Amino acid sequence: MPPAPAALEVEGLSVSYGKFVAVESVTLSVAAGECVAVIGPNGHGKSSMVTAVAGLVRRGGAVRVFGETLPVASPGAAVRAGLVLVPERRHLYPELTTRDNIMLGSYSRTRRIRARQAWEDVAGVLDMFPELSRLLDQKAGTLSGGQQQMVALARAMAAKPRVLLLDEPCLGLAEAVARRVYDWLREMAETDMTILLVEENPVYALLVADRAVRMYKGLVERPEVAST
Amino acid sequence: MSEFLNLLAAGLTSGAIYGIFGACLAVWFRVSNVLNLAVGDFAMLGAIGSAWLVQTGGLPFGLGIVIVLAGVGLTAWVFDRLVLHVAFDRGVGAHGIVSVFFYTFGLSLVLEGAARALFGTDVYGAPSIWSGPALAIADFHVQRAGVLVIALAVVSGLVLWAYLRFTVSGRAASACGESVIGSRIVGIDSAKFRRRIFIATAVLAALFGIVESPITGYTYMSGPTLSLIGVVAAGFAAFRKPGRAVAAGLVIGVAEAMLGGYVSTSYSDVLLYAILFGIIILRPEVLGLGAEPA
Repeated sequence: MPPAPAALEVEGLSVSYGKFVAVESVTLSVAAGECVAVIGPNGHGKSSMVTAVAGLVRRGGAVRVFGETLPVASPGAAVRAGLVLVPERRHLYPELTTRDNIMLGSYSRTRRIRARQAWEDVAGVLDMFPELSRLLDQKAGTLSGGQQQMVALARAMAAKPRVLLLDEPCLGLAEAVARRVYDWLREMAETDMTILLVEENPVYALLVADRAVRMYKGLVERPEVAST
Repeated sequence: MSEFLNLLAAGLTSGAIYGIFGACLAVWFRVSNVLNLAVGDFAMLGAIGSAWLVQTGGLPFGLGIVIVLAGVGLTAWVFDRLVLHVAFDRGVGAHGIVSVFFYTFGLSLVLEGAARALFGTDVYGAPSIWSGPALAIADFHVQRAGVLVIALAVVSGLVLWAYLRFTVSGRAASACGESVIGSRIVGIDSAKFRRRIFIATAVLAALFGIVESPITGYTYMSGPTLSLIGVVAAGFAAFRKPGRAVAAGLVIGVAEAMLGGYVSTSYSDVLLYAILFGIIILRPEVLGLGAEPA
């Protein structure tokens, strides 16, 4: 019986912006239920790598989710395969309510139904973020940074991800808020969810990651630098 | 009382024109953050194209309407593929507010030039869809075409309002204008929404031109004025609420008619431009003259 495929396989992934090569032939694999951190200084290709995996930018190489190869630059296909990104700086919809922001996380499943039915489909994510219950009718653009990050995570959970990609989830947040965010991430990591986390700060990363790899100048420098 | 009612009828009819173009502008701005300054030219194409097909081409009016609406939809699709898709989806060309302004302004100039070459400088009016004498209820008289114009504006406003308010698709359309990356990561195809709503509003504007042209008549130069009055109505709806744009348009139309009837017709144009200047001062961002919209 062949072994089960990895939850996420990245093989020979490269990203270029014109002549500038941001990511060069990155290969890594994340097993089902594992949390892997990609650490390294800013400007060395971590975010380019993870956004290419999510289909937001064109890439070379292959990305597979539970053995299914994803097409290039197709974020919709990635979401349908269960690969969901929480992007750097969140990218919420500031003029829409918290409820709509979360509900749209399930868009690929619920796009043909009425908004009220779609909300019923995803309201369960509030169990993980009960604080959001009182903010549901507030515009997302009026929330604090920590609350917005909570909405971004809830939106991702509404998509029912099989593999969660997190890009710098604490960027721009105060330390106390960042630690709260990592408490939520640790709760997620303790479920059977597969997580690939991009984080500049290795201290934060190793709070939740099973192992970490380091990216430097667009390359995965060492396949494994830490284990917890 | 009779004068008031007839001014009200005239105001509602002209207000419906403000409202429908405001609604078309608002719903597409909500999705794309771009003003469609060619929306009035699509109405002009609908009006002149259908009139020309019937009067010169000898086609039945119904067939003429179908051909013109299909042609306008195709024109909008081609513009999206050749200009908007290349500029926004492929990232080719400039994205500054001035550059974006010229995308649809350029389309307006092209459509105006094409209409002049094809149809000349004559005034055209499509046949009336609902012909007959004006409807009268006591002292209240309104043209049948006017009733259709008001009904089309109100129904369009209600449909667009309900679409944005009650459907997941409507929420997704709004999300595209809020954050392109944020919409793509949940699987929303922002380019598809931008294209579909651009085509739908172009066809709606053309249909409105067909229905309204028996009242005012259209020339190849009618488009920019219609787009401008749409900008005024949409400005009152924060450029994002098509239902409110229709309501604002109706109010402006009635105010303009009352001012013209009881004070002087000279002041009706003044009112329009005063409103426009008010938007420039109070909401400059929606005309691209200040900060980016939130």
